[in-house]
Amino acid sequence: MSKEVVKEKSMVLQKEMLGKHFIELSRTHETGKKVVYTFVPGNLSELILAFGMLPVYPEINALQSGMRKKSGSFIREAEKMGHSEDVCTYVKCDIGMMLNGNIGPTGEKLPPPDLLLLSYTGCFTFMKWFESLERLYPGVPVAMLHTPYQENGEMTEEMTNYMVEQLKQEVIPKMEMVSGNKYDESKLAGILENSAKAEDLIVKIFSTTKNRPSPIDAYFAGVYYIGPINSGFRGTPEAVTYYEALYEEILERVRLGLGPITPEGEMEEERFRLVVEGPPNWTSFREFWKLFYDMGAVVVASSYTKVGGMHDLGFRHDPAQPLASLGKYCMNCYTNLNLPQRIDLLAKYITEYHADGFLVNSIKSCNSFSAGQLLMMRQLEERLGIPVSFIESDLVDPRYFSYSNIKNRLDSFFQMLDQRKIIKGQMEETTA
Amino acid sequence: MTGQFYTMGVDVGGSYVKAVLVNYSDNPKIIDKHAEKIRKRNPADVAGELVNYILQNNGLQYEDIAYLASTGEGELVRRKKGHFYSMTTHSKGGEFLCPGVKTVVDMGALYVRAIKIGERARVLDYKMTGQCASGSGQFIENISRYLGLAIEEVGSVSLEADHPEVPSGICAVLAETDVINMVSRGITTPNIIKGIHLSIGGRIIKLMSALKAESPVMLAGGLAINKGMVQAIRELLKDTKYEFEIVTHPDAIYSGAIGAALWGGFRHVKLSKEQAVLV
Repeated sequence: MSKEVVKEKSMVLQKEMLGKHFIELSRTHETGKKVVYTFVPGNLSELILAFGMLPVYPEINALQSGMRKKSGSFIREAEKMGHSEDVCTYVKCDIGMMLNGNIGPTGEKLPPPDLLLLSYTGCFTFMKWFESLERLYPGVPVAMLHTPYQENGEMTEEMTNYMVEQLKQEVIPKMEMVSGNKYDESKLAGILENSAKAEDLIVKIFSTTKNRPSPIDAYFAGVYYIGPINSGFRGTPEAVTYYEALYEEILERVRLGLGPITPEGEMEEERFRLVVEGPPNWTSFREFWKLFYDMGAVVVASSYTKVGGMHDLGFRHDPAQPLASLGKYCMNCYTNLNLPQRIDLLAKYITEYHADGFLVNSIKSCNSFSAGQLLMMRQLEERLGIPVSFIESDLVDPRYFSYSNIKNRLDSFFQMLDQRKIIKGQMEETTA
Repeated sequence: MTGQFYTMGVDVGGSYVKAVLVNYSDNPKIIDKHAEKIRKRNPADVAGELVNYILQNNGLQYEDIAYLASTGEGELVRRKKGHFYSMTTHSKGGEFLCPGVKTVVDMGALYVRAIKIGERARVLDYKMTGQCASGSGQFIENISRYLGLAIEEVGSVSLEADHPEVPSGICAVLAETDVINMVSRGITTPNIIKGIHLSIGGRIIKLMSALKAESPVMLAGGLAINKGMVQAIRELLKDTKYEFEIVTHPDAIYSGAIGAALWGGFRHVKLSKEQAVLV
């Protein structure tokens, strides 16, 4: 039987922060606060906060609906409207939720958008998504920020200037118009200071998985840890307090030599260390996690937890150059990196975090993430000689989660990891 | 080692439960074997019945078996002494049936898995088919039922084909639609079945290629006793750069159960030695 989940201080803090945010959203008709719908990768949370507006992230709402087993009916609703089975299920879930009264994850009604901020970062679907929202909310202004793809694996000065110009000429004027407030760069710089503090802490938190045993799971628990930084709290003092509390808790686990906390209880034996590419499945999240827990498999690094920013590669929001650093942040998103960059990054994780194997969870309806994953996997296998595996599921469409198929593949993968350990152990014995 | 004793291996697959009784020694011998289709029953019950049947058939009691080992979904097997990973058991069983093989391709009801093996049947690497069921034995069984064939007939019917028509190799649902369309177009049953074998065979060769398989390659699992499937793989290989020697064995369906029984014997000897040291 599953053990009761232990609530740590940071968990309580996060719940309070998110609860407060959704209550604030539900009261905008009283407070008059303006609402910006926007996306997680390359999000401009700090700019939204600087204008005193509130962000809504449709992807976050969709994944929350998935975890609460509501996404299936929302998706069917969107399909009835004419959206194909192949369309991103975040989009369909979001549209279905809006058609059903736009009730948010905490049960509070979400306000309609006053601005659609389309930060395009490596996902073409974002554009079609907001085209759909524009039809659902006619007349709402759209601010489009086009982020250049890192085709050549670099960010040039011209690219940064292009981003800054768009912010100045397109995004900021629309934000001024919607909020009724003037752009205040010193206010933005103050917010960015907090962002940088939270980012320092996030990097430290995800580096703790270099310990053996790893004190946290960087994928299944990691998605909770990136919650505040990806849902509008980056730049707030609350986020800094949250990450300080979380880091302290994790350091205590390191000191005591404890493994990760999971919904099934604490992982007592770390048998395998993995790096995972791709988002998790949200509709059967706990079942999915348990497959790893049962085998003593801990994810020590994942690309998905970097979707809201590659801070571990050194990027920090910079109060000294606010707009340029916002632009660089957007261009640094994981899905905005080219395939060789993504392969190098994953190779770095596998090596630096001493992973035993590499796993891809390929998402049926997410082309921006899934394209190239087989190639990436093969190249990593060839380059590093480690066991790799490929499983398939979806973000929030429960029809695409096949437990037995995933289990069969994970079983073989874990068997291979075990064999490699035996062989490695025997080789070490021979050389000793 | 000296002396000999009985071990039993039980392999719970997606469609069949297979059990093997082995007289374990330096030169192990298969004494008895039996496979039973699960047919909507509890696999644990089927496995239990199979174990009892083999014991009775050979005048043995459970206590006479030094080690009862399970594999596959065999964690469900009652009264077992230990469970072994299915890749290690198929490798061991494959190597026992066809000594010297360097790759074992386990072709089961739910998936196909190519395993590269080293000395003493050690698993070195593996590759597995994608999630779609069209690469599986269960798909052939479903299609044979649709075409009114008994599963045992499928192999020989395939060998009668003269102009095989290959269905979609991407998805079982698409392949099934293709087959229905072929029937309505009057394509003969042998040509349909052979086409399916070629489609699955193509995927198996891709697996071997991705694995960088080494020859000889042993085909194991339930699909390996399907002569049409084996023939299709051999034919397809002629059009590739690969020069794999494809081998199989009439007992290939038992490779997992044999491997479990052999690993069970190995573990029993090891445990006995450890206990002797303790005494």
